[in-house]
Amino acid sequence: MSTSSVKTVVNKFLDEYTNNTPKKLKIIDAYLTYIFITGVIQFVYCCLVGTFPFNAFLSGFISCVASFILGVCLRLQVNPANKSEFSGISPERGFADFIFAHVILHLIVVNFLG
Amino acid sequence: CLIHFYKRKMRVLALLFLAPLFLGACLAQKKVLVLLENVAVKETHSLYFSMLQRNGFTLTYKVADDPSITLKKYGEHIYDNIIVFAPTVEEFGGSLSAEAMMDFVDNGGNLLVTAGSVTGDVLREIASESGFEVDEDGTYVIDHHNFDTKDGGYHTRVISDAQNMVKSDLIVGTGKLPLLYEGTGLLTDPSNPLVMDILTGSSTAYTHNPSLPIKEYPHTVGKATVMIAGLQARNNARIVFSGSLEFFSDEFFQAEVDTGNGKLVPSGNFELAEALSLWCFKERGVLRVDGIQHSRVGEGSAPEFYTIREMVQFYIDVKEKVNGEWVPFKPTDMQLEFVRIDPFVRSTMHVAKSELIGTTFKIPDVYGVYQFKVNYQRLGLTRISTSTQVSVRPLRHNQYERFIVSAYPYYASAFSMMFGVFVFAFVFLYHSDETKKKTE
Repeated sequence: MSTSSVKTVVNKFLDEYTNNTPKKLKIIDAYLTYIFITGVIQFVYCCLVGTFPFNAFLSGFISCVASFILGVCLRLQVNPANKSEFSGISPERGFADFIFAHVILHLIVVNFLG
Repeated sequence: CLIHFYKRKMRVLALLFLAPLFLGACLAQKKVLVLLENVAVKETHSLYFSMLQRNGFTLTYKVADDPSITLKKYGEHIYDNIIVFAPTVEEFGGSLSAEAMMDFVDNGGNLLVTAGSVTGDVLREIASESGFEVDEDGTYVIDHHNFDTKDGGYHTRVISDAQNMVKSDLIVGTGKLPLLYEGTGLLTDPSNPLVMDILTGSSTAYTHNPSLPIKEYPHTVGKATVMIAGLQARNNARIVFSGSLEFFSDEFFQAEVDTGNGKLVPSGNFELAEALSLWCFKERGVLRVDGIQHSRVGEGSAPEFYTIREMVQFYIDVKEKVNGEWVPFKPTDMQLEFVRIDPFVRSTMHVAKSELIGTTFKIPDVYGVYQFKVNYQRLGLTRISTSTQVSVRPLRHNQYERFIVSAYPYYASAFSMMFGVFVFAFVFLYHSDETKKKTE
């Protein structure tokens, strides 16, 4: 009984997601899954090989984590359902902040990668 | 013509003036003050004194309680070595005392002292400051199995075999003849690292007053009966303390010893006395460090600082005094320590270029202030202790490995993140909204 209810919940969620989510958000979600997979691969590699160039590991891993966080923040700001919470800020402004934060992030990542 | 004559005279005069200075420098280490019990000792020990003079020492004879004895003039010690052949003296004359003697040793002077069956208090004080104890008045070393038949029946003129000497050719020479001895015994503390038993009795020897019955255990028994003891102080000054004045006498030097199987063998006293005196007065077994060189392998001079994990070479020039000349010393067991509080590297040095000994090693992976330490202490040799301080720095920021192969996945992920953001930005901005068209 419970298994069938979990199945129905999951199916309903997937249906709602594909039908009711704007394309913009789906693009962001795809981007986020890509970042997530990259981060997981790095972490598993570090567990296997060890932490020898520890700063390189930190740099790569933090780059993934921070990109993920920035992507989530962009999704929150761009989602039309949240328009009331970001009343003074347009979605374009949100995207500009996202790009600005990424520039700083990558500068730091490359510096620490050495 | 006259000018030439005067020039030659000037040169001769100059040589005449310089010669004593040069001689003085040569004799610098060889002024000996001899304190005698009485003037007769000079005659009964004439062979010993002539041996010293043959070896280049200048002797000044004084009776022990002569009031004109001075060790210092204008604050500097006049003599380099002191011989005390005065066992029964209670107090020295002049400004001399046990403290003055120990002050003399502290300043690098060497002492050769003989005690006897009756020993004066000042000599007992000197002995106890040096780490030995002289047995009570009236005691002799007695050996009922190894005695010379010429003594008065008390078996106090004992024979000690050459193998009872300390195992060092530098101190006792290479003689194998038995030794004749008549005097008191010394006690040494075996836990004192600076004291050595130069000549001990055989296993059947003991010390006691020969005319008293034995009521308690003798103070020294067997091989612990020390006849001649030595000390090399921490400043490398040497003290030799003998329990017998007769050991150095002409009679004992020329005596023939009955070893027990009827054969008469000459005594080895002269050889031992000569070797011992040369060792004591710093003519043998003396080392000095002439120079130290350290540099990176392949370079000639010492750098300002080293970096971790570099190869370093270290050379030291050690000389030994042999027959009055300083010749290169080539040990096989001298070690170099690279110390930062604790030694990180300990390396045995081997003979390297020309007369130096040295070694090459890799600086450890730890930075800090290190010292190159050489500590060499061997029986019969003066101690060598040198340390040179160097600083070892960590890698500069551009001395690290540049592209580490095992970190390639991390480089790839960081750059892929950048690429991802770039592509995402384009897609996000320029995608066509199909749902909008649908609602329209």
